[in-house]
Amino acid sequence: MWDSLRQSLDLTLFWEYRTILLRGLLQNIYIFFGGALLATALAFAIGAARLSKRGTVRVLSTGYAELFRNTPEYVFLIWVYYVLPIIFSRLLATKFNFSPYAAAVLALGVSYSGFLSETVRAGILAIPRTHIDAAMALGMSRWMIMRRIIAPQAIRRMLPEALNQYVSLFKATSLVSLIAVEDLMYQVSMITVHEMRPLPLYTGAALLYCGIIIAAAQCIQHLSDRWRQRGWA
Amino acid sequence: MTTPEAIIRVVNLRKSFGPLDVLCGITFDVREGSVFTIIGASGSGKSTLLRCLNYLEQPTSGEIYLDGKPIGFRIEADGRRVPDTAANINRMRAELGMVFQQFNLWPHLTAIENIIEAPLRVKRLARKEALDIGRHFLGKVNLFDKENEYPARLSGGQQQRVAIARAMAMQPKVMLFDEATSALDPELTGEVLEVMRALAKEGTTMLVVTHEMGFAREVSDRVMFLHNGQIEEDGSPESVFNAPRSERCRQFLSKVLH
Repeated sequence: MWDSLRQSLDLTLFWEYRTILLRGLLQNIYIFFGGALLATALAFAIGAARLSKRGTVRVLSTGYAELFRNTPEYVFLIWVYYVLPIIFSRLLATKFNFSPYAAAVLALGVSYSGFLSETVRAGILAIPRTHIDAAMALGMSRWMIMRRIIAPQAIRRMLPEALNQYVSLFKATSLVSLIAVEDLMYQVSMITVHEMRPLPLYTGAALLYCGIIIAAAQCIQHLSDRWRQRGWA
Repeated sequence: MTTPEAIIRVVNLRKSFGPLDVLCGITFDVREGSVFTIIGASGSGKSTLLRCLNYLEQPTSGEIYLDGKPIGFRIEADGRRVPDTAANINRMRAELGMVFQQFNLWPHLTAIENIIEAPLRVKRLARKEALDIGRHFLGKVNLFDKENEYPARLSGGQQQRVAIARAMAMQPKVMLFDEATSALDPELTGEVLEVMRALAKEGTTMLVVTHEMGFAREVSDRVMFLHNGQIEEDGSPESVFNAPRSERCRQFLSKVLH
């Protein structure tokens, strides 16, 4: 019994297809970086807007964050790929289509900007009001204070939480095969159809994802330890 | 010898937080080069008064002038009073140094970086020049050897001295001290008071809110006692400490001096 299990789990099959699989994985990595960049940029804008003095700005940005935090990534991905082009086509009165890649980056980026904006907001709120008073008393402008006093401290506070979000985002890139992006999971299913051996292929994919995330987490841990040693607490 | 001008003039200043009147019509002048001390019980409005001067709190009404120029508002050609622009308020703030009870150093910057931040960004000095000024003032507060330390590695007294150097590095017209020693352990207040004494001796104009009655009596040119947002007693340190006219001031002093 054990022998047969070991045979069917034989990961050498995964190794044989390494070029195709690696090409798939690269797609995940591209989409991850695109999505992370978009999510981060939006998160800063939305996070800051949620602390605005203006009520309407606050309500709108909070609504945005709540909407995307509470919509499953999968549902939103499908919606962006299939529904959004229909809306755009009607509005622009021309045919409009997303490439699956653009849809994936957009959907994941916007989706995670909801979560991340909460992290940004909390990070900014954690900066004591007194630090801002001191900067104001020296004649620094609001923008200068945001950039020089709040952001550097807030980013350090946000980092652990933000990294968790990035890990989730990387995991979520495995959904993009569902809109025909030729990522790792897409290639795995294609090869499975061909080879009829799901066990080593899907197991290999799971281990690969897990390994990448553990390795990335190690690097990050190392970096933040070094920051802490420099007294940036 | 010319008579020293009023560098700060406060006229009928009022501040309310909702229904609570914190300052109820305060009027006074601070002469250039003098030390003006504000004493009073907690909640008497001392800190609010100081924070109104540089517009960290917006006064409800009344006027403040720094070196003859109104703070926080402009008089239009037709005589109307309009709120001043944020840029002008920032420019005015740069001329008023402020030292806080909790030091408020920025923890992500070293001592010298804390000090040169505003000279670099607000005054747009060259880095070299800002560093020279920063080191000069760091030396003045006797912390020349601590320039590369982060605030977390400095004692409270050292942090407060860096904060004083940070405010002085902007070379302000007036220094505001908001209970600068209240958060310090008794054995650390001495080193901060010593720095403040030295600044006073050099002729720095200082507005000091303090609970250190010895310091107030010894260093001040003028002492004001606030009670419930009003000036109860006001005069030379001798007259306020030795012969207060107001009953409340007498009670307050008898409590804090023993």
